[in-house]
Amino acid sequence: MTLDPRTAAELVDACAAAIVVLGVGLAATRSIGRAIWLVAIQSVLTGVAAIGVGLATGSGHLVIGGLLAIGAKGLVVPFVLGSILRRSPVRRERHPLLGPRASLVAAVAIVFAASAAADGAFVGASVAVSRGLTAAIAAVLTGLLIIMTRRKALSLVVGLLVFENGIALTAFSLTYGMPLVVELGILFDLLIAVVVAWVYARRMLDVLGTTSTDQLRSLRG
Amino acid sequence: MTEVLVALIVAAPTAAGLAAWFADDRRAGWLAAGGFVIALAAGLALAVGVFVEGPLRAFGGQVVVDALGAYVLALVLAIAAIAVAGSPGHLAHEREAGLLRPHDAGRYYALLLWFAGGLAAVPLLDNLGLLWVGIEATTIVSALLVGFARTPAAIEAAWKYLILGSIGIGFALLGTLFLYASSVGVLGETSDALAWTRLAEIAPQLDPSLARLAFIFALAGYGTKAGLAPFHTWLPDAHSQAPSPISSLLSGAALAVALYAFARFHLVTAGTLGPAFSSTLLVVFGLLSLAVALPFIVAQGDLKRLLAYSSIEHLGLATLALGFGGHLALLGLTLHLFSHGLAKSTIFLAAGRLVAERGSRRIGRLGGSLARSPTDGRALVLGALVLAGLPPSGIFVAEIAILLGGVQTGWGLAAAAAAALLALAVAGLLFHVMQVSVGPPGSSADRSPASRRWALLLGVPLTAVVVAGLWTPSPLAAALDQVVIVLGGGRG
Repeated sequence: MTLDPRTAAELVDACAAAIVVLGVGLAATRSIGRAIWLVAIQSVLTGVAAIGVGLATGSGHLVIGGLLAIGAKGLVVPFVLGSILRRSPVRRERHPLLGPRASLVAAVAIVFAASAAADGAFVGASVAVSRGLTAAIAAVLTGLLIIMTRRKALSLVVGLLVFENGIALTAFSLTYGMPLVVELGILFDLLIAVVVAWVYARRMLDVLGTTSTDQLRSLRG
Repeated sequence: MTEVLVALIVAAPTAAGLAAWFADDRRAGWLAAGGFVIALAAGLALAVGVFVEGPLRAFGGQVVVDALGAYVLALVLAIAAIAVAGSPGHLAHEREAGLLRPHDAGRYYALLLWFAGGLAAVPLLDNLGLLWVGIEATTIVSALLVGFARTPAAIEAAWKYLILGSIGIGFALLGTLFLYASSVGVLGETSDALAWTRLAEIAPQLDPSLARLAFIFALAGYGTKAGLAPFHTWLPDAHSQAPSPISSLLSGAALAVALYAFARFHLVTAGTLGPAFSSTLLVVFGLLSLAVALPFIVAQGDLKRLLAYSSIEHLGLATLALGFGGHLALLGLTLHLFSHGLAKSTIFLAAGRLVAERGSRRIGRLGGSLARSPTDGRALVLGALVLAGLPPSGIFVAEIAILLGGVQTGWGLAAAAAAALLALAVAGLLFHVMQVSVGPPGSSADRSPASRRWALLLGVPLTAVVVAGLWTPSPLAAALDQVVIVLGGGRG
């Protein structure tokens, strides 16, 4: 099965736009459950864009990588996070370091900065590189914003996933992805990282009675 | 033959770890020791082969071991041997204190072996993408070990380590991507495009702006794993909260493996842009780490955190040496990695036992340790003197070589600043050692004398480090020279 380049370009464009919008939503929401949904959709769209580029350029490893990414980051990981959330008493990001309105402004600023950076940047692959790269840079920065300003364990994992989506988007915007064995390794690492995060979130619940990282402030100096 | 040895280095710890996970607690230790000894023998045979015959290739070029790789491999295995040998004592104490749940020992050994096996695999891979996968995998496995104690402090340390480590290493992946993007233009889309052997050959043709970006991201990413300031904030927590044998492996081997990763990027980048760009960054971050660690060493009240900050200081020095370049500084770097690795892993074991015996990790409450726990006390004092860089020891010779090498290669000012920072750290370290060794005895607790095996475990590596400052056997000197040639950008 192949896809003609123009359709692929439109598909990647649409996915990139949706990924950017979802990123803004992720930065603005305070509900952890909603954030898990949004990042799951964002991961699926990242995978779809990879498959689109793969079909257009005939690189099978991108298609396989995209399918596996949808399975891992779109289904397995959100399921694991959801199961922690159901047991946890913490459902909302009550006192983030940056309020929802300020986060929204920051996220929009990130989008403009990313678009400016991508326009001026690289001359690499041809299919919708600029849009893909805009979405990639925006996702990396949004992920960092979430990690820096949130305090709940699950929110940090969500931020890490957004950051990781940004890296995946960078990979196929710049070079049509990495070699398959490397992509498989990256996905494998991501999956075990989420499992370990799950183990620790459970231990936090057992030992501290909460998954709020506010409680984790004893180690200093 | 090379294929068999490489397979054993990775497969033996993996399989033995799996067996230990499901075994009962008594058998787990033997399974782990058996699996590790096989990997150790295979690894040392491989390293000797490389030093005698030159670089070895296996598995269609996916595995290439040159002198630098062989050296890091041997170092990782030697330190893992100390960690594995120190584990039964650690677990026995935890069991007595009632801190061990059923199956905990088996899981501990399984994770320890996977961690060690992952670290040993990294220097064998001729693919910067797989090198990233390997280092990230060791991060995740070791995160489970850092929080093994299940106390709130251990959970906090492990959580910080997992999140900050994953972000840091995410940057290293971006750096790898940029390098791949610049080499795909030259080599086309093959997995060769991430092989450092190929990248070093085609370095002059790579896109300079992408190569520059790649090095910045790789240094920030792997620098996080190596504990370079300002990316070091997870390190004192993780290294001090982990079980002591794991602290040994983290401080002695995992940091060196992260340094190995950005050294490979440095070699490629220097080939593309000339040495000035990446060397300057290495010198800046090396000095910054020395400066940031200093106040925390001087004002430290917690013994294990003191050792962790000393690791930041020493990795800063090693990074500085890599930036200085030149034969003398790089020779100092190779000697330093060996001496610091062995001394730090040993002293962590001694500190761990001392802290467990005395029931406190506060330096002020560990006074009189030389009289109360002679074996651990002596190891701690000797180790601290060695780490402070006092002669005779491998670290002393390495520090002199690095600083003189820096002056030779035109980094006189940086070398002078480093010398001043090192001297101040010596004063801080010696003050703490005085407190622990002869200070007033603090809290009292029953002490059980250390076994002869434990004394050997602490004594042999420390003796090796002291001897390394006086005399290097000629085959070893020849091997070090080969490593220096690779670090200088040549073929080893």
